[in-house]
Amino acid sequence: MAACTVYSTQSLSTNCSISTPSKTQFSFHQKQVVFYTTGRRNSKRGSNSGRSYVITCAASDQQTVVIGLAADSGCGKSTFMRRLTSVFGGAAEPPKGGNPDSNTLISDTTTVICLDDYHSLDRTGRKEKGVTALDPRANDFDLMYEQVKAIKDGISVEKPIYNHVTGLLDPPELIKPPKILVIEGLHPMFDSRVRDLLDFSIYLDISNEVKFAWKIQRDMAERGHSLESIKASIEARKPDFEAYIDPQKQYADAVIEVLPTQLIPDDNEGKILRVRLIQKEGVKNFSPVYLFDDGSTISWIPCGRKLTCSYPGIKFSYGPDTYYGNEVSIVEMDGQFDRLDELIYVESHLSNLSTKFYGEVTQQMLKHADFPGSNNGTGLFQTIVGLKIRDLYEQIIASRAETPVAAKA
Amino acid sequence: MATMTGVSLSSPRVWFNASGSPQNAHAINFALPLRQAMRPGGIQMGRVTRIRPVRAAPDKISEKVEESIKQAQEACAGDPTSGECVAAWDEVEELSAAASHARDKQKEKDSDPLENYCKDNPETIECKTFDD
Repeated sequence: MAACTVYSTQSLSTNCSISTPSKTQFSFHQKQVVFYTTGRRNSKRGSNSGRSYVITCAASDQQTVVIGLAADSGCGKSTFMRRLTSVFGGAAEPPKGGNPDSNTLISDTTTVICLDDYHSLDRTGRKEKGVTALDPRANDFDLMYEQVKAIKDGISVEKPIYNHVTGLLDPPELIKPPKILVIEGLHPMFDSRVRDLLDFSIYLDISNEVKFAWKIQRDMAERGHSLESIKASIEARKPDFEAYIDPQKQYADAVIEVLPTQLIPDDNEGKILRVRLIQKEGVKNFSPVYLFDDGSTISWIPCGRKLTCSYPGIKFSYGPDTYYGNEVSIVEMDGQFDRLDELIYVESHLSNLSTKFYGEVTQQMLKHADFPGSNNGTGLFQTIVGLKIRDLYEQIIASRAETPVAAKA
Repeated sequence: MATMTGVSLSSPRVWFNASGSPQNAHAINFALPLRQAMRPGGIQMGRVTRIRPVRAAPDKISEKVEESIKQAQEACAGDPTSGECVAAWDEVEELSAAASHARDKQKEKDSDPLENYCKDNPETIECKTFDD
């Protein structure tokens, strides 16, 4: 037990419910409940020696709200995370004094963990077996479930760290239960047990054309890369992407779909984007954003007498639809904002934004004008989803506060 | 303007500059951040506008990207659908993403600390800019 990092919390409540598989051993150590897994993971992880200890201390009344964000590599998860944590206030930073290659981000309210940390095969292991990181066989969903469940129940965990530079699994880091936990990566909605823990889920769906354009922008400056290598990498990963990542979008409460513009015929530059926010109906604590008239079908070109836009302009549409058998509402924006007044004008025509004051969406977009997508639908809808998650969190907290009163009455 | 009280007009000066100075509007046009921000070493937006030389990620990881591309090309020479080939290209993607993150981190490190602070705290007095 000497290797355990013991972390003491305020109050240990009796609801220290720990659901663990049979291989897990328990031991009680003063006020802390400690469970750790041995053997199984070590053998799975090959050469890695990182043993995982899970220190458990339940905080009595706080329950972590868990958000899932799924997308392929290089599809804007990091940018989305920066926008989301910004909506909650305060900057999200890597854990202080920890592993410099940690993938975790922590702010006052939110902790973002990267699901690559649950790789069961490191880079060498995947190479030997000939599997990609997209393949479920390269990921430990049992551990992912156990740890996300523990955090949700207010219990700290020692989460492994996948080092993206070395391709190895580093010694674990302690994750304390935050108010909001975001799990981002390739598979947050793949395993049904993990999926059931999510209070809200988002999928970033980047069309092939746009993915290619984005990766060119990201990689062309890198030595050794060429159009061919970028294309080859996308093509090689495609079968696994389609088998294991893409199907998760059917479970998402919100999908942000990024497509080439339709404003310019045959545009394939990928600079002007058509972005669709697909919002599931009937999700608890989430009421979709709409344009003008809830539930109606609308096509709107804001540019005209009141607002001048530059070429190719801006086009919005809104309406009900079905998506993988679910009822959804879709808000779509094609084109880009060139000036502040365009954004303000658009914001004032969208309803149910869950803003705290007039102009909050615009303010957030301005604040991060240097982030990719701040002048188009990706930034707009990411910001809106951030506001909706804040609203969802506040509703969950409020409903919890009410429950004891109702029970007494 | 009265209706816009909630908006912090002081934060990114980019858009106002853009409409205010047409002679260099092409350089600070709002259409730019998307392209610029995604290009390593692009123009820094905000208080100080400067152009950095194009820089790849820190050397160690750049070498790994280059190496992994070579390996992937070799692995795929025989059978482009083999697990070996696919895993090799997946490694290229993983390293390219890591290199991109390393570049972003480096950019943040290199940038003006006041600039960084003001991005998160535009409402504080030291971050306000005033027009005469």
